[in-house]
Amino acid sequence: MKKYGLPIFLASLVVIGFAAVAGSGRNSNDLPAPPAIGTMIDDFKLPDVDGKEHSLNSLKGKSGTVLIFIATKCPVSNAYNERMEKLAQEYRAKGINVIGINSNVTEPAAEVKSHAAEKHLTFTILKDDGNKIADRLGATRTPEVYALDASGKLVYHGRIDNSQNPANISSNDLREALDSLLAGKPIQKTTGAAFGCTIKRA
Amino acid sequence: MHSRLIALLLGVAAVCTVAGFSSPAQSNGAGASVPDDVRQIDLEGLKKLLHRDPKDTRPLLVNFWATWCDPCRDEFPDLVKVDEDYRGKGLNFVAVSLDEVTDIKSAVPKFLKEMKATMRVVLLNVNDPEPAIKLIDATWDGQLPATFLYDKEGKVVFRHFGRIKPDELRAAIDKEVMSAK
Repeated sequence: MKKYGLPIFLASLVVIGFAAVAGSGRNSNDLPAPPAIGTMIDDFKLPDVDGKEHSLNSLKGKSGTVLIFIATKCPVSNAYNERMEKLAQEYRAKGINVIGINSNVTEPAAEVKSHAAEKHLTFTILKDDGNKIADRLGATRTPEVYALDASGKLVYHGRIDNSQNPANISSNDLREALDSLLAGKPIQKTTGAAFGCTIKRA
Repeated sequence: MHSRLIALLLGVAAVCTVAGFSSPAQSNGAGASVPDDVRQIDLEGLKKLLHRDPKDTRPLLVNFWATWCDPCRDEFPDLVKVDEDYRGKGLNFVAVSLDEVTDIKSAVPKFLKEMKATMRVVLLNVNDPEPAIKLIDATWDGQLPATFLYDKEGKVVFRHFGRIKPDELRAAIDKEVMSAK
């Protein structure tokens, strides 16, 4: 037992350290802190709006992947429908796949499906019942983006751009991050905050 | 006698009005009415709103909301009640609307009237929300509603994202109001 004393003690310190970082979190609502930029995002499985299960690995693009937490009723998320679809189509051709995730307990899969049809969203949308993936990624609002590189490492987290109103866009954060990623250049701005609707957790 | 009383009341009203304009973090004062003129502020205005006068020991409650945000609407009656209950006990309260500026004379005052809201309300009009969000709290990503309680030194002593839990908020305010006395 004695010979394991030091490793156990050190392991305990690491656990306590992680707990302290997680606990210092981002807010008082006990939500997990999001992974830091550079963190490898582990594979997960979620059903799409038809109930068919997909893994993150099976949906990944060869050059990268964009996960966007979206909503059917949030006016901010809805303000981005057209931009998200355009982004998905444009970057799919460049090897980056866009995946929508709906974690709102108030928006069942059938509603997410009809909303996508009505708003002409053609990218895959996963239904995150019990907000397990939102919790794992520390997602708090819609729309909220997690961009991963080809290896699955988080390279950008946050907003799509600075304005709900397309006429007022002055900082195209996500597109700039993806273009840098594709060009093999360092991403200048790796996070971006914007007002959005709180994810309605179970 | 009557004229003295009227003069006194007018004097008090004038002082209240001046105080209201010169110190943006003040609430509307006891007996305030529903605000029908919501002022817009920019990033500088937000900084001024958060600036604490060293002489003012009252805690400051700031709630970020929008008429398009369902949980914001749901929690608003609780906030109106908090304002009613604590204004006289020394709480400054400002509700910051994130609605479009085009709603400043329509949807925003309409909602406030429905709510019988009497706290101070301003509308934040910024092209890029990020500097404003990070000015408020480096750990905030902009999800609404968001509620912050600042102590007399301007330090965040309570924060909540999503619909408030009135008991938790009231307990935090009680603590600050007591310590401010």
